[in-house]
Amino acid sequence: MLRVENLVAGYGKVQVLHGLSMQVAEGQLVTLIGSNGAGKTTTLRALSGMIRPESGRITLHGADIAGLPSHAITRRGLAHSPEGRRVFSTLSVADNLVMGAFPRLTGSRPRGDVAADLDRMFALFPRLAERRAQLAGTLSGGEQQMLAMARALMLNPDVLLLDEPSMGLSPRLVSEVFATIARLRESRVTMLLVEQFAAAALDVADFGYVMENGRLSASGPAAALRDDPAVRAAYLGTAH
Amino acid sequence: MQILAQLLVSGVAVGMIYGVIAFGYQLTFATSKTLNFGQGEALMLGALVGLTVASFVGYWVMLPIVLAFGLLQGAVVERLGVRPAIKSKSESGWIMATIALGIIFKNLAENIWGRDDLKFPSPIGERSIEVMGVRVLPMEIAIVAGALAMMLAVELFNRRSVFGKAVVATANDRDAAGLMGINTGQVITFSFALSSMVAALAGVLVAPVTLTGATMGSALGLKAFAVAIIGGLNSGLGVVVGGLILGITENLTGYYLSTGYKDVPGLVLLLLVLSFKPSGLFGKKTIKKV
Ligand SMILES: Nc1ncnc2c1ncn2[C@@H]1O[C@H](COP(=O)(O)OP(=O)(O)OP(=O)(O)O)[C@@H](O)[C@H]1O
Ligand SMILES: [Mg+2]
Repeated sequence: MLRVENLVAGYGKVQVLHGLSMQVAEGQLVTLIGSNGAGKTTTLRALSGMIRPESGRITLHGADIAGLPSHAITRRGLAHSPEGRRVFSTLSVADNLVMGAFPRLTGSRPRGDVAADLDRMFALFPRLAERRAQLAGTLSGGEQQMLAMARALMLNPDVLLLDEPSMGLSPRLVSEVFATIARLRESRVTMLLVEQFAAAALDVADFGYVMENGRLSASGPAAALRDDPAVRAAYLGTAH
Repeated sequence: MQILAQLLVSGVAVGMIYGVIAFGYQLTFATSKTLNFGQGEALMLGALVGLTVASFVGYWVMLPIVLAFGLLQGAVVERLGVRPAIKSKSESGWIMATIALGIIFKNLAENIWGRDDLKFPSPIGERSIEVMGVRVLPMEIAIVAGALAMMLAVELFNRRSVFGKAVVATANDRDAAGLMGINTGQVITFSFALSSMVAALAGVLVAPVTLTGATMGSALGLKAFAVAIIGGLNSGLGVVVGGLILGITENLTGYYLSTGYKDVPGLVLLLLVLSFKPSGLFGKKTIKKV
């Protein structure tokens, strides 16, 4: 589905990713973990076209998308719920979701039933349903996080990139988010999940990559990584 | 009392023109944090093109043609002057480029329509109506109605249509809008087109009550810029109030002090606002949750 080969990317002269290769197979939930500043967000940004990769190949459905502008990549079916939520603060909750479906409403993606999907999101996130007319900028941080995730899902994406969907949430909401992710996996949504809660991420994921200083240091089936002593020591805490 | 009422009424008409041009400044500022300093020239071109086109097809058919012309002219300004500057991350390139394009448009107009001021006939008569002793030109009413209708139409478009919401999304967060599949470069071009269209319509509206010529836009564009700062570059209604304040104070100063000082109050107001409330009288501090 999504394949990355020798990706080199960064910001201006600062190179952050030094030749990254990974893949996300159809219907799989793959997680990318690593310490702060490892380059996880940068990876997602390069995949969705928020930054232009310096070199390397990124293929979606077999077609090279490296270097395309983000709107073009989205129209090919890749949705990205970015770090820091980035909801549209002066649009209502419902309009934020409508924006998630923009390519469907304007003919660059199959339309499907947008209204039904809107209802599906409100069923998935009841807190958003209660606040559908509220301006997104006035939502709490946790509610904004749910909105960002629901907005990305409104694309009916072939691949969904999630950057720390649990960031800033209370423990109860964190487990809610992970439950939602597990449900999405059940319905075979292809996902690449970046998470600070490495243990929880490996619990729901099929496959995992561990990143260190812009390079992969380990990879493998999620269960195997969870039991890997090196990974446990570095990211999961020894008392697990 | 009669005189005061008269001054207020004519101040309102001019003020609406300032307001609607300032509204145009807001449109591009929202999406791109840049302005077209040639807004006055967009207004002037709208008036002159309107004058010529109306002589062939009549006033009412001219209106949509001028609107289309304004859209096109604004898009050209964005493509030639603004986009290269945004791309090269130049902080001030767009300022020079839009001013330069404005001067080019003015020279072009002088060569096509000459240096003398022309008369733009009013489509709805030039005889003033008297309401309780106050004389009002029909065109002054048309200015207020036309300007309000224009702003309302843009506002409705932004709130109701999917494309309008995409414009608001781009204004909120350009990168995130890109992630929604919105071509934000096109949105910015569109906002420049819309802003020039608004100015071109303002030109057609104001031309019958002023004189029409290549230099008519410069002062209007500058004063509307002051209004945009006074009202706040991101406060929708602020520019209308700001425009009215400026239009009325100008008229009052012109009458009670001297016409020589007519331009002073607006500039004083501008300086005061800049030093005490830089986000404008009605500007809201941007709320951003981190
Ligand atoms: N906009 C930027 N400009 C310059 N450097 C940046 C920018 N964003 C990130 N970086 C740098 O790139 C490196 C990787 O950052 P990135 O955000 O990808 O890390 P991360 O793995 O997502 O970390 P975290 O877990 O803290 O979110 C860091 O050294 C960071 O300082
Ligand atoms: Mg990050």
